[in-house]
Amino acid sequence: MSGREPRREEEGAKLHQKEELNRKIKEQKVVVDELSNLKKNRKVYKQQPNSNIFFLVDRTEMLSECKNTLDDLKRAHQEIENSEKTKIRK
Amino acid sequence: MQAPGTASPLSAAQVGRLREEQGKVVTSCQEKIQHWRKVENDYEALQERLNTLPDKLSYDIMVPFGPLAFMPGKLVHTNEVTVLLGDNWFSKCSAKQAIGLVEHRKKHVRKALDDLQKVMKNFESRIEFTEDLQKMSDAAGDIVDIREEAENDGTETKGKRRTAHKPHSKPKVSDVFEVHFQENGMDTKSKGFSQSEEELWARLEELERREEMLGEFNRTPDTIEANGEDTTSSEEEKEDKTDLNVVNRVEDSTTQDNVQKEVTTSELFSGQVNGPSHYHSDDEDDLGVDHFVPTIFFFHTVEPKRVRINTGKNTTLKFSEKKEEAKRKRKNSNGNGHLVPELPNIKTPADIYRVFVDVVNGEYVPRKSILKSRSRENSVCSDTSESSAAEFDDRRGVLRSISYDEATYSDNSEGILEEGQEHLPKKLSTLSGTFEAFSGTVIEKEPLSPLIPHPSIAHPVLPTIPERKSEEVLSEASEETTKRISKFKAARMQQTN
Repeated sequence: MSGREPRREEEGAKLHQKEELNRKIKEQKVVVDELSNLKKNRKVYKQQPNSNIFFLVDRTEMLSECKNTLDDLKRAHQEIENSEKTKIRK
Repeated sequence: MQAPGTASPLSAAQVGRLREEQGKVVTSCQEKIQHWRKVENDYEALQERLNTLPDKLSYDIMVPFGPLAFMPGKLVHTNEVTVLLGDNWFSKCSAKQAIGLVEHRKKHVRKALDDLQKVMKNFESRIEFTEDLQKMSDAAGDIVDIREEAENDGTETKGKRRTAHKPHSKPKVSDVFEVHFQENGMDTKSKGFSQSEEELWARLEELERREEMLGEFNRTPDTIEANGEDTTSSEEEKEDKTDLNVVNRVEDSTTQDNVQKEVTTSELFSGQVNGPSHYHSDDEDDLGVDHFVPTIFFFHTVEPKRVRINTGKNTTLKFSEKKEEAKRKRKNSNGNGHLVPELPNIKTPADIYRVFVDVVNGEYVPRKSILKSRSRENSVCSDTSESSAAEFDDRRGVLRSISYDEATYSDNSEGILEEGQEHLPKKLSTLSGTFEAFSGTVIEKEPLSPLIPHPSIAHPVLPTIPERKSEEVLSEASEETTKRISKFKAARMQQTN
């Protein structure tokens, strides 16, 4: 009986996590698309977190980095989905 | 036993309310945890950036001005980082030192995170309990907490009586033994105590000895000697500028619109002619680089080695002694202690307040935050009434240093000091001129030569300088004639020199 409430909260947290993850994946997709659709002469600047400074970065490097992060996020998403499916099956 | 309905001190509504509040605490904890995690991530990103920052001489960046506008530019001086320690104290250091500072801050962040996690867990368990309670009270009125007052008095007294009844029982013997133990214990304790006392006495004597030594330093009538010492020390330190310059510039980590002030405090003493000019050239160089940024430079006399300790009268030496010991240890351990001896690891403004202490009227006063107002009694300047809001902070800093300097001078009343005092009002007036323009260096304190102040400063103020100077000289000469050489003599001596 007492276990119901924590479970609900856990599920709520998980949903929250999933939503966050989905949002991040969308963001990363947009970033990757934008980077790949840039002209060759364009400069790309990366923002230093929590500040207003932008450092010049190499376009191709940045593109590969963002692709990697997108892959990681997708992988995490997949894992969560798999774990949920296994739970449902049980 | 109480009736079921009123058994629990909490009614159903109250339990519900408790559950709500606990839930609120948990959510707030979660939010804070999220916030601190973000802070930690930011610090990690900063560390990464600082790690790679000195790799290049300059970086192409988009320089922000205003919240929305950017301008392509370059980031130069990649190894010089100015770190806000808090309380409007800044520290200019290398990238590696900044990384150390960031690490120190991350420690605090992690601690905060741990504490929040603990609180959250605690409250989560409390929530479970309150929910159980809720269900219990909802489910049935029959279920009640069983409460029974413990009655132990009778059994305990019985036991005691039993032992007391037997006159020739063992307990008495054991009491005797215990007494012996106590006696022995007392002896050992007293011995231990006497040993620690001896140690204390030895330490006190050591401290007194050191106090005398340092007291001689302070009480030397000739400031020249003291100056000579300071020149050597400061020249050593000049080579290692990283620590001693306390600079007020926000660079790559956070740049803000108007907060581009540069405040440099470096070591100065009245007798050093070379010092300020040397620093001044550096400032001019910096000026050349940051031409578009208004800069303010403070020159402070800073002597962390000396008896600048802010505790009570009898405990003055604790800190210097500790620092000297630490210094000795480090000197012994490694010769490369150039960072170490002067500013032992300043990471927070608390460190600054601990290490640097003001001397006001011959007494040691703990350095206050610059945001707190200082009494103007000791200051020589007559400008205090005229300060505008913009100048106020700078003026306070100026006054602080001036009162500091004046206090050091008041310790020794010599001609040389008095000429220093003469210069103080001049400096103030130059500063006031500078504050109006707010462009260019403001040099708070110059030792001897009037040529040193920045040319842009000198003009509007020059006419008033001699007036004030003479006023000050007059006012103070009258006080001082009873004591020592008159200021006029000192001024004359200086002029002849």
